[in-house]
Amino acid sequence: MRASSRWLRILGGTLWPSFLAATAACVVFFVNIDPETLRMQTLPAWEIGRGTGYAIGFFMFWAVALLSSMLTLVLIDGGPRSQS
Amino acid sequence: MKDPKSDANDVGMYISREKIHPREVDGPFQRLRYLAVFVLLGIYYGIPWLQWDGRQAVLFDLPSRQFHIFALTFWPQDFVYLALLLIVAALSLFFFTALAGRLWCGYACPQTVWTEAFIWMERITEGNRQKRLKLDKSPWTREKLLRRGSKHLLWIVFALFTGFTFVGYFTPILELGQGLMQLSLGFWEWFWLLFYSLATWGNAGFLREQVCIYMCPYARFQSAMFDRNTLIISYDEERGEPRGGRARRVDPKAQGLGDCIDCNLCVQACPTGIDIREGLQYECIACAACIDACNGVMDKMEYPRGLIRYSTENAMAGKPARILRPRVLAYGVLLLAVLSGITYSLTQRIPLSVEVLADRNVVYREVDWETIENVYTVRILNKDREAHTYEISVDGLPGIEALVSDEPVRVSAASTDSVVVRVRVPRSALDGPGNPFQLTLQSTADPAVKTVNTARFNGPRE
Ligand code: SF4
Ligand code: SF4
Repeated sequence: MRASSRWLRILGGTLWPSFLAATAACVVFFVNIDPETLRMQTLPAWEIGRGTGYAIGFFMFWAVALLSSMLTLVLIDGGPRSQS
Repeated sequence: MKDPKSDANDVGMYISREKIHPREVDGPFQRLRYLAVFVLLGIYYGIPWLQWDGRQAVLFDLPSRQFHIFALTFWPQDFVYLALLLIVAALSLFFFTALAGRLWCGYACPQTVWTEAFIWMERITEGNRQKRLKLDKSPWTREKLLRRGSKHLLWIVFALFTGFTFVGYFTPILELGQGLMQLSLGFWEWFWLLFYSLATWGNAGFLREQVCIYMCPYARFQSAMFDRNTLIISYDEERGEPRGGRARRVDPKAQGLGDCIDCNLCVQACPTGIDIREGLQYECIACAACIDACNGVMDKMEYPRGLIRYSTENAMAGKPARILRPRVLAYGVLLLAVLSGITYSLTQRIPLSVEVLADRNVVYREVDWETIENVYTVRILNKDREAHTYEISVDGLPGIEALVSDEPVRVSAASTDSVVVRVRVPRSALDGPGNPFQLTLQSTADPAVKTVNTARFNGPRE
């Protein structure tokens, strides 16, 4: 059972906090920026609805935060042990 | 006699995790918990179905960037309310944690509430704790298949309904229901519906207490909000020890025993599988199931209740306990202040917001030698649920006047419009660039709907 609980730790410690961070970032970002405006200014040729815009933004934030969480995990797990 | 330590170890240590089947208990706290589950789930599943003024009462309409909450409509410009709401949530958490520990965890956290609901479904399909433990060990018989199958069926249906309700907060739920019947939902609606269902099913069906132990940030920093006067669930060691089995009518004192009969019911009742008799532990979510379990035992033994009870560290140490302390009062006062601030500003809210943008290409224009003109685009957001006609006036510089293109300015309900306003000021009233003046917008129908914006008027440098 040790292995499965280790996996839980890894997933719980990366997927979840990055999900929370992405949600917060997504809210702050999209309150201030309308995905529709963003699309008009960058990719006017694409047909992207607001709903899709929000989702793309959310997954981008999640991916970035996930990367950071995973790096943190690697650094904490692999580093030299503290004295305690 | 069994060694309680070893028993606690194989139930409680997460490393050798076995599925925890909390024992069903009855008692005032358990009933309170059921009530909380009932009320909270009722609110969650019920609210999207409420109607208000011909539309869904609570709808977070992301595609049109408006949040409807009963009579109120919020726009991205109202972000400050969301921020304030988060502050209120944080302060309430501080307040209740300082007062009575992890009240949130035990009674109100969605993780707990949905886990309770899922355990309830597990109970009606697989039976009580003993039956479930047996079923876990039994080979795959027809009965096990049937019981397991119906449990999972219930879980999945319930989880799907949860996901459906969740999406119903963002897409009108009646349309969503129809779309689901005809299997004609959009991609993202399907996606979020399944995503949320999956999360519910996994968290409440399988992960359960491990979410609290491994994933919950609150569980990690709640101890910072505790002090020696915080109400916690505690076992009265002095009264209970030495623990041990005994016959019903025997005087424990004569046998040199404390009041704990070592029946282990408190451990079996615990949803996180710990033994509260070892002291307050990080895993304890303060659900008070062990209190109810133990009180039941105490009643049977005809001992006084409260061997496990809500108490404070100070009270346990025999020191005077103070419930109302500066910390609790401070959180309480802050909470009240922010709440009344929000309420006040909501009642004062004007359903109109205006931006005045100066023409960036032409700084100023000379109409004739005497008169200087600046051009502004005025963006009007009518947040009201009816159309308004607005009057635009300017003020703040001697001789200032405004010429508005296409008067009257009429903006329909819940929409934006822009008008071009040419403002003229006599040269003599100006002092170079950046003279402040006020632009006022007022509804002709309702004089209370009025905003005053300050803008800058640019004149020639002398
Ligand atoms: S120790 Fe008691 S209060 Fe804490 S989680 Fe277990 S049953 Fe609930
Ligand atoms: S329920 Fe009460 S009597 Fe039974 S083991 Fe727990 S503390 Fe002791």
